[in-house]
Amino acid sequence: MLRPLKLTALFIGASAQHELAYRANFWVSLLNSALNFGTGLLGVIVLFEQVESVRGWEFAQTLAVLGVYMTVSALRGLFISPSLDSLAGMDGEIWRGEFDFTLLRPVDTQFVASVRHWRLFSLVDLLLGFVVLGVAVTQLALPMTLAHVIGFVLTLLISGMLLYAILLAFASLTFWSPGFLFGWVFDGLFQMARYPVGLYPGVLRLVLTWIVPVGVITTVPARALSGDLPPALLAGSFALSAAAVLGASVLFRTGLRRYASASS
Amino acid sequence: MTNHRGGWALIQATWLSWMQYRSFFFLLAFSWMIGPLIYLLVWSTAAGGGTVGGFSRGEFVAYYLILILVNQLTISQTTWTMGELIHNGQLNRLLLYPMSPVYNTLASEFAGKAVYMLFVVPVSGGLALLLRPELHLTLANGLAFLPALALAWALSFTWGYWISLLAFWTTRADALLTVEYSLLFLLAGQVAPVALLPDALQVMAKLLPYRYMISFPVEVITGQLDGAGLLTGFALQIGWLVVALAIYRFLWRRGVRRYTAIGG
Amino acid sequence: MSHPQIVVSNLSKTYRVPQRPPGFWAAVRSMARRVTQDVPAVCDVSFTIEAGEMVGFLGPNGAGKTTALKMLAGLLHPTSGTATVDGFVPWEREAAYLKRISMVLGNKSQLMWDISPLDTFRVLAEIYRVPPAEFRTTVDELAALLDMGELLTKPTRNLSLGERMKCELVAALLHRPAVMFLDEPTLGLDVSMQRRLRAFIAEYNRRTGATVILTSHYMADVAELCPRVLLIHHGQLLYDGALRGLGERLAPFKLIRLTLDAGNGRSPEPDALLPPGAEIVARENGGLTLRVPRAGTPDLTARLLSALPVIDLSVEDPPIDAVIDQIYQEGAV
Repeated sequence: MLRPLKLTALFIGASAQHELAYRANFWVSLLNSALNFGTGLLGVIVLFEQVESVRGWEFAQTLAVLGVYMTVSALRGLFISPSLDSLAGMDGEIWRGEFDFTLLRPVDTQFVASVRHWRLFSLVDLLLGFVVLGVAVTQLALPMTLAHVIGFVLTLLISGMLLYAILLAFASLTFWSPGFLFGWVFDGLFQMARYPVGLYPGVLRLVLTWIVPVGVITTVPARALSGDLPPALLAGSFALSAAAVLGASVLFRTGLRRYASASS
Repeated sequence: MTNHRGGWALIQATWLSWMQYRSFFFLLAFSWMIGPLIYLLVWSTAAGGGTVGGFSRGEFVAYYLILILVNQLTISQTTWTMGELIHNGQLNRLLLYPMSPVYNTLASEFAGKAVYMLFVVPVSGGLALLLRPELHLTLANGLAFLPALALAWALSFTWGYWISLLAFWTTRADALLTVEYSLLFLLAGQVAPVALLPDALQVMAKLLPYRYMISFPVEVITGQLDGAGLLTGFALQIGWLVVALAIYRFLWRRGVRRYTAIGG
Repeated sequence: MSHPQIVVSNLSKTYRVPQRPPGFWAAVRSMARRVTQDVPAVCDVSFTIEAGEMVGFLGPNGAGKTTALKMLAGLLHPTSGTATVDGFVPWEREAAYLKRISMVLGNKSQLMWDISPLDTFRVLAEIYRVPPAEFRTTVDELAALLDMGELLTKPTRNLSLGERMKCELVAALLHRPAVMFLDEPTLGLDVSMQRRLRAFIAEYNRRTGATVILTSHYMADVAELCPRVLLIHHGQLLYDGALRGLGERLAPFKLIRLTLDAGNGRSPEPDALLPPGAEIVARENGGLTLRVPRAGTPDLTARLLSALPVIDLSVEDPPIDAVIDQIYQEGAV
């Protein structure tokens, strides 16, 4: 029971050592985060210098979506992306044909592949995401009750789960087509979640809500932030995320079996 | 060391090589398209039935679609096609040839852009059919577009090239690159056409080289510039190109001397 | 009065290497201070080489052989000292010089991975301005010598390591260089391929008179190809001359291998027979290996034959490897 926790702690420790070994990385990462933060913010500001609202979305609400996007991205960057990319990303184990080493280990492969690498610096990005959210909240001038906050945090966690599920599914596809970087396709679509999905034209909106549900990931917490979170929505998104995680795990294991039997 | 025959042979061979990985390169081109595409959608939705900052929905679509094409043609790859070679010692191989290493980078440049455009042109065409751009093309603008585009390519290449030469001194040019990407995003017409930027940013955009690498030719062909704007634009474009060439030559001579002292 | 093709005087090269200590707290500390260390790679080396010679640079890993070779190819310039090849200073990298030399690196390839070797050759022919007719004859000649058949038109990534090495050699010779630098050319190849490549290099040198400088840590490469070796260790030139001479000078011993008939009753201990300076180095079932001073060998052989039930006896030079090993460990000749 405790073993996964112990292992995770070990992984975190190893990653931390690695991060510290390269002194320049820290400053570059800081610069990177600051610039991402600044340019993201400027993007929204420049837009709303020119217009008051776009399809009903105003500055503060759009900022809230950006804040959620940044926060969820930070969660992704904390361990989901570093781990899954080391498996299925460019120069990852499958790309280089070194996946066998991981397969040989006496630990659940999905667990290891999901939790193996951490990028603790993403905590800075998480903080910056909260800053944007804070600005959005003050702009929206909404009362923030404890129920609000709890609801919001819950939706964030659900979004995190859904994001993990989608990324795991995309990573699994690599087992069937090892040269193709499916993660990059997702990256492109996920970028669109910076802005409220309602801004995009019809077909795209449908795709981003139902097929690759990135819209759900950012929209639901944004709604929770402004207090618009009916319990049915909360329960529904939880169910969706749980089902997605389950489905993605099944896909992963199926792909794993296929890889193990096809590997030469 | 000039060696045009060698260079041309290398371009053909590189194109042949890269075409075998076209799915990877198409995916890369897709990733590069996403940014401008998002802003295309956001701004054209904002304009709705009317105009924003003087642009109608259709004009935004035209602007951004052309931006996508120009961006693809001018985007800098030299971090990988030169910077990496310096880092992994492959520059030694190029130094043994009676041919300046620039030819190798240029071969990757022309071959690569040819492969990317195989993807981007049809996709942009498809998007144009879907989104109905509005372009008021005049003969003057069309004629001015070609030199503006050629200079934009030359500036973007040379600028990227000198930055990649920093690899002679440091394994960490990524801080500078991060800043560059942010400046390109903000000031080269991506987050918004330069004319719609707030005053402070607009002034910066018109003085710094980044606009002249991407959005200047687009502004020319979409008729955003009057006579004076065209002339000052070209003047600055050529001026920055001269600066870039000077920096390149300075760094190259010193860089090779250092490389052969240290041994790659 | 001969003008040597390659003249090297007091060539030295020292690298400055950053240090990165292991461990968590050391890593944190190193974020503040950078420590470097001076590593001498080549120390005051001098020699000359005539056109058409085949010379081997011998030495353990990190001895400075590759550094010396890279300086002659113009890829590195020295900390001090001079060198000229065919009248050119290599590190000035003049186009005329680069067209006269060629380098084959054992672990790095100049073939483009996704197209056929022939396509890469065509590019190289353009780079070196080889006229088309000459290109065709050169490729045909070399392909015949190396027995390459269909290889040339298959994509490089589909070739085996040995096949790729053959193509690397052809690529290096398309422009008929006057000097060839071969850095570990047989690395990773199986024994028969190594033999084939060595035979080719020797034949090429015989036919064209190209100077060949070879580095290798495979003794067999050097032993078969290079009448002359330069032994480099810790950046210093320890020996410059024939390989045979190296063995004779350093290890004035011979090895006597005996196979004894165990069935026969009498089997006195050979120890008593041994003169001073001789010793038993190995004992196996029914056999012995003795190490004996050169001078005393014929005498001892005769005595062994008469005193012991010898079925088989051979007298050998100690393997060059062991000799070289001894030098590495003692650091001197």
